[in-house]
Amino acid sequence: MTIRLDRRHFLMGSSALIAAGAAGLRPAFAQGNNLRLIFWGGQDRADRTYKVADLYAEGGGAQIDGEFLAWNDYWTKLATQVAGGNAPNIIQMDYRYIVEYATRGAIRPLDQFVGGPLQLGDFDQDQLEGGKVGGQLFGISLGANSVAVLVNETAFEEVGVAPPNRDSTYDDYMAMGEAFNSANIRGGIKAISDGSYTEPMLDNWLRQQGLSLYTADGQLGFGEEEMVEWFRMWQGLREAGVCVSAEDQALDTGAMESTMVIMGKSATMPSNSNQLVAYQSLSQDSLTITNYPRIEPGAGGGHYRKPSMFFSVGGDEANAQAAAEFISFFVNDPDAAQVLGVERGIPCSAAVREGLAPTLDEKSQIALNFVANLGDLLGPLPPPPPPKAGEIDASVLRVIGQEVAFGARSPEDGGKAFVTEATALLTGA
Amino acid sequence: MTARSMETGVSAAGRAVGTQGVWARIWQQDGPGYLFLLPWFIGFFGLTVGPMLTSLYLSFTNFDLLTTPDWIGASNYVRMFTADPKFAAAMRVTFFFVLFSVPLKLAFALGVAMLLNRGLKGLPLYRAIFYLPSLIGASVAIAILWRQLFSGDGLVNQFLANFGIDGPSWISNPRYSLWTLIILSIWQFGSPMIIFLAGLRQIPQDMYEAASLDGASKWRQFWKITLPLLTPVVFFNAIVQTIEAFKSFTPAFVISGGTGQPINSTLFYTLYLYQEAFGFFRMGYASALAWFLLVMIAAFTAFSFLTSKYWVHYDD
Repeated sequence: MTIRLDRRHFLMGSSALIAAGAAGLRPAFAQGNNLRLIFWGGQDRADRTYKVADLYAEGGGAQIDGEFLAWNDYWTKLATQVAGGNAPNIIQMDYRYIVEYATRGAIRPLDQFVGGPLQLGDFDQDQLEGGKVGGQLFGISLGANSVAVLVNETAFEEVGVAPPNRDSTYDDYMAMGEAFNSANIRGGIKAISDGSYTEPMLDNWLRQQGLSLYTADGQLGFGEEEMVEWFRMWQGLREAGVCVSAEDQALDTGAMESTMVIMGKSATMPSNSNQLVAYQSLSQDSLTITNYPRIEPGAGGGHYRKPSMFFSVGGDEANAQAAAEFISFFVNDPDAAQVLGVERGIPCSAAVREGLAPTLDEKSQIALNFVANLGDLLGPLPPPPPPKAGEIDASVLRVIGQEVAFGARSPEDGGKAFVTEATALLTGA
Repeated sequence: MTARSMETGVSAAGRAVGTQGVWARIWQQDGPGYLFLLPWFIGFFGLTVGPMLTSLYLSFTNFDLLTTPDWIGASNYVRMFTADPKFAAAMRVTFFFVLFSVPLKLAFALGVAMLLNRGLKGLPLYRAIFYLPSLIGASVAIAILWRQLFSGDGLVNQFLANFGIDGPSWISNPRYSLWTLIILSIWQFGSPMIIFLAGLRQIPQDMYEAASLDGASKWRQFWKITLPLLTPVVFFNAIVQTIEAFKSFTPAFVISGGTGQPINSTLFYTLYLYQEAFGFFRMGYASALAWFLLVMIAAFTAFSFLTSKYWVHYDD
């Protein structure tokens, strides 16, 4: 539909705008009943999301104006909009940031809507808990997921070695790596990517030892000794040529296209269960997922069912209820569920899950079954990370991890430096 | 202001009484001019001066984008110089980049300009082609292309393989990554080249004729005639390019995915500033960083102007 205005109408319109502005009113069409939605993700996620928004509008709900960005750009844009008093009504939120936004009053508690506009009757309890900050509900989980190792099955077939399974340990990966090196296919593809500065992988490794990355009071949950051992283990994998070189790993900028499995540099890499669907769309080979390696046979408890992402409500008080209604539709409506699939994780409503399961394609089934059958791998949900966790990940773990990988620091020195710098950030202002 | 008051203004000015008359006269003389400048004034004060002053204020606060800023005095500036190793790393990277990219780029631009100045056929075409990288140089697309060229199995290494050289992944090796960005900057030599070319055209031919009659070699002519007479242009280009280099952001941002990796080797000052502001929610500190960058650039420019009288020759 195009709107045409002649000059007279244009002038009338703009003077009306100015008059409205002077009176402190916003023109109706700028506010209206439209809700603004912002989320991170790729084109596939956007297509699904907008289709659900259309379904909602067709059913008489509010119009949704959506906007999506890649993960790295997303937080910049969101922070700027919130700072400018221009926060969207519905905000996709991550476990890492929810405390920060909630405690600063940038998103609204939703408790008053639960049972009314926001139906959460058969919602998973652990996923509901994950969206709470200080006892109040600030985020509705859009799906449960778990960390997982992304596996290129085709590459393993070509090498002629069994792909990693539920019981595989770091030592087993060492053996697979040697098989890859002697087969030397695809220009020397390695068994695994370098996970030494992948935060969830370190977290998982610590949890299997009964430790944690961060404690509930926001301090480091481990010491220098563990960090040195972690860097040493990866040094061993690197020297044996089991994981990719430091140079190759540094090509990974966080975009899906630059990851080691998609670039064909390694046959496995740390990832998330819900990302299998998206990664498969980028690869000619057959991909699957399995759990992170165990530290020794029988060790478990490293994984947890993480709320993959939330919808939170920001912006105008007046539109909060309408936003909650949309979120309710998003997580409960069976037709919406068909469109969304498990792309954002496993749906948290039991009814939705049951309706969806038989209709899923093969890769989505794998993701669903993986999260549903974690068994002894499953540990408790850790507390939300402290506010400085993002900075520690991006500018301490990554930098020191790369220094160790490139040989600018020894694992011993790196372990010590990490603990010192991370502690300084956590205890400082 | 209405026509009526303008009339009274004129008569008041005629009698030369009161300040109102002076204002009216100014209005009558320059009013329309200011009226035409108004759109620019609104932009300049609303979009440039206003935000700049705000950022100066914010640089003395702990603004975190989400909550109200609190005044913390000069703490941000103190932290910058005493307690921030990453600031030091960003300064090292930026100065290395400026010190190498600017002279190399200018030398390259001058070289190409001199080649083009030899009365080539189809000069406008070459000029346009060489200028092209400057037009598209700072774009995201070029930075992505650069990633492809200089990665482990990129075009550069495929070329080197012909000579039996097994090159590293230039872009992701901390030893070379900054150099790939310096090369990218040199490649955008178009705009200084055009200016050099114009400068070369200004040099009177009879000077060269006189020099060759005296038996001066081409080499000597370059050092004794071309370069001295070109110094005003070199000076201009050096200042503009240095400021550009200090402000360089996009290539490093795209090539490292905003991380400054590997090991902070591409952590440009502006990239660090961006990380602090939007990645780690320290807008107050980032504002202080921005103001320090402004001071650095101003100091550099002032220094260049002060020393220019010793090496820039304006002879007309």
